[in-house]
Amino acid sequence: MGEGAAIAGLGMTELGRVYGRSPRRLAADAVRRAVTDAGLGLADLDGLVVSHGLGGSPGIELADTMGLRDLRVLTVMNSFGATAGAMVAYAAMSVISGAASAVACVFADAPLRPRQSSGSAYQRDAREWYGFGGMTAALGFRDVNTPYALAARRHMNRYGTTSEQLGAIAVSTRQWAVMNPLAQMREPMTLADHQNSRWVAEPLHLLDCCLVSNGAIAVVVTGADRARDLARPPVHIWGWGQGHPGHSKERGSEFGLTTGAAVSGPTAMKMAGVTAQDVDICQLYDCYTYTVLVSLEDYGFCAKGEGGAFAASGALGPGGALPTNTGGGQLSAYYMWGMTPLSEAVIQARGDGGERQVAKNDVVLVSGNGGILDHHSTLIVSPHRKGA
Amino acid sequence: MRRDGRTDPFFDGAAADRLVIRRCERCDRWYAPDHGGCSGCGDEELSWAEATGEATLVTWAVKHGRPAGDGTAPPPAHLALVELAEGPWLHARLDGVNASALREGLPLRASFVHPDEGESYLLFRPA
Ligand SMILES: [Zn+2]
Repeated sequence: MGEGAAIAGLGMTELGRVYGRSPRRLAADAVRRAVTDAGLGLADLDGLVVSHGLGGSPGIELADTMGLRDLRVLTVMNSFGATAGAMVAYAAMSVISGAASAVACVFADAPLRPRQSSGSAYQRDAREWYGFGGMTAALGFRDVNTPYALAARRHMNRYGTTSEQLGAIAVSTRQWAVMNPLAQMREPMTLADHQNSRWVAEPLHLLDCCLVSNGAIAVVVTGADRARDLARPPVHIWGWGQGHPGHSKERGSEFGLTTGAAVSGPTAMKMAGVTAQDVDICQLYDCYTYTVLVSLEDYGFCAKGEGGAFAASGALGPGGALPTNTGGGQLSAYYMWGMTPLSEAVIQARGDGGERQVAKNDVVLVSGNGGILDHHSTLIVSPHRKGA
Repeated sequence: MRRDGRTDPFFDGAAADRLVIRRCERCDRWYAPDHGGCSGCGDEELSWAEATGEATLVTWAVKHGRPAGDGTAPPPAHLALVELAEGPWLHARLDGVNASALREGLPLRASFVHPDEGESYLLFRPA
C-alpha cells in the first residue's frame, strides 16, 4: 500500500483533422497504444475509466468493444475539462487500495467534420429558439468563446490585465509548439500576429482560442513497484485535487476573477508535499490564453491580479523560470481536453521531450478546467518516487 | 423566438414592457427566469415577480461573426453579464452602446423589442 501509483503507459492516436474513425474506435486505439507502450497486454488491464466529449460517446461499452474481460473497475467519469485529472486520481486510488492493478484512463472525441470550421464544432445552432434560454441563445449566447470573453474582460476591468499580456501566453505556447512534432500549429507566432488576428469575442482574438481536434489519448496507471519493472520510466503520481467553486450568477460572484485552482492546487500540493516554489514545469489547461493566466494566479505562481505581468515577463516560454505548456498546449498543439496537459506532463517527466525537453523536470503540475471555469483538477507528477 | 411552457410569464411580461423574473418569497431572493430552484432553501417552485428593470454592467464581450468569403462580417453583438438591482445576473444583449463607453458598473435599464413575428425579447440599454 505504501508504494503509491504511477503512470506506466501513454497512448495517443493521430490528432487533429482525423476523419473516418468514431470516438469509440479512437478510444480503443489509444488504449491499445497505451498498453503496448507500458509493455503490457490488453489482458493485463483490470480497470477502464472512460471520458467522452460533448457527443456522449464512448461510454462503458468500450470495454465490450475491446473484448476486455473480468474488469474490476469500469466507469465513465465526467467533470468536463477537469476529467483527466479526476480519472487519474481515481485510477491511482484504485491501484493503491488494491481494487485494481492496471487501470486505463481514456478520452476520445471527434467533434470536427470534414469541410467544417473549428469554431462551428462547439457552437449551438437551431432553426427556432424556445423559452428564455432560447432567447438568450438567439441574441448571441450560443458559443463557448463569449462566456470566456466575459470572464477575461472582468479580469481586465478588475486588475488591468491587457490583450498584449494574453498574447504573451499565445506566443510562448507557440514557441514550445514549434519544437513539438505532434503539434498542429508549428509556424512561429509574434505578438503582432496575435494582435492582428481577428476578433472572435472581444477581448479574445482568434489566437487566444484553442484548436479543435479529433483523436484519443489514454494512460495506464499501475502501482509504482510494478511500473518500475515495465517498459517505460514510471511517472509517479504524487498528489491530486479538485475544485468546483460553484460561483453563483448574482451580486458578489467571483466569476472571472478566481477559479477552482485556488482549492484544487493546495489540495494536490499538500498531498504531494510540495509548494508552488517546488514546481519545475506547468501543464495548464489552455482552452483560452486567459485560462492559463488566471490559473497561474490561483496556483500561487504569482499574486492575484499579476498573472498578466507574470506571463509578459517571459517566465512561461523556453528558458523561462516556469516552463509552461511545453508541448504547445491546446492553443497550438492539440485539443484533447484534460489529456492535452496530462500527455505532455508524461512526456516531460519521462525525459521524452526531445528538442523541447526541460532539463529540470522533478515536479510537474497538470491542471484541468471544465465548463466556464466551473470545474478544476490538479495532478502533481514526477519521475521520482514521492519522498525519495 | 417561441415560448417553451416553462418561462412563459417572462414573455407575458416582455409583451407588456415589464421584466418578470423568478423569486423565492421565503428567502427574499431573486433569480433569472430559467433558474431551476432556490439555492437558499431548495424550493423548486419559485414564483414570478416583476423586477424594476434597473441593472448595472458587470462585464461584456463584443462578439464578431465569422467573415464570409467576400470579407464582409455581420455587425458585432455587444453581449454582457448584467446585475439586476434585485441581485441576480442575466446574460444579456446590450443595445444603443458603443464599446469604448462600456465600463463596469454602467447603469442600464431593461428594454423590450416587439417583433411582428415571434415573442417579445429583452435588451439592456444605458439608463
Ligand atoms: Zn428560498
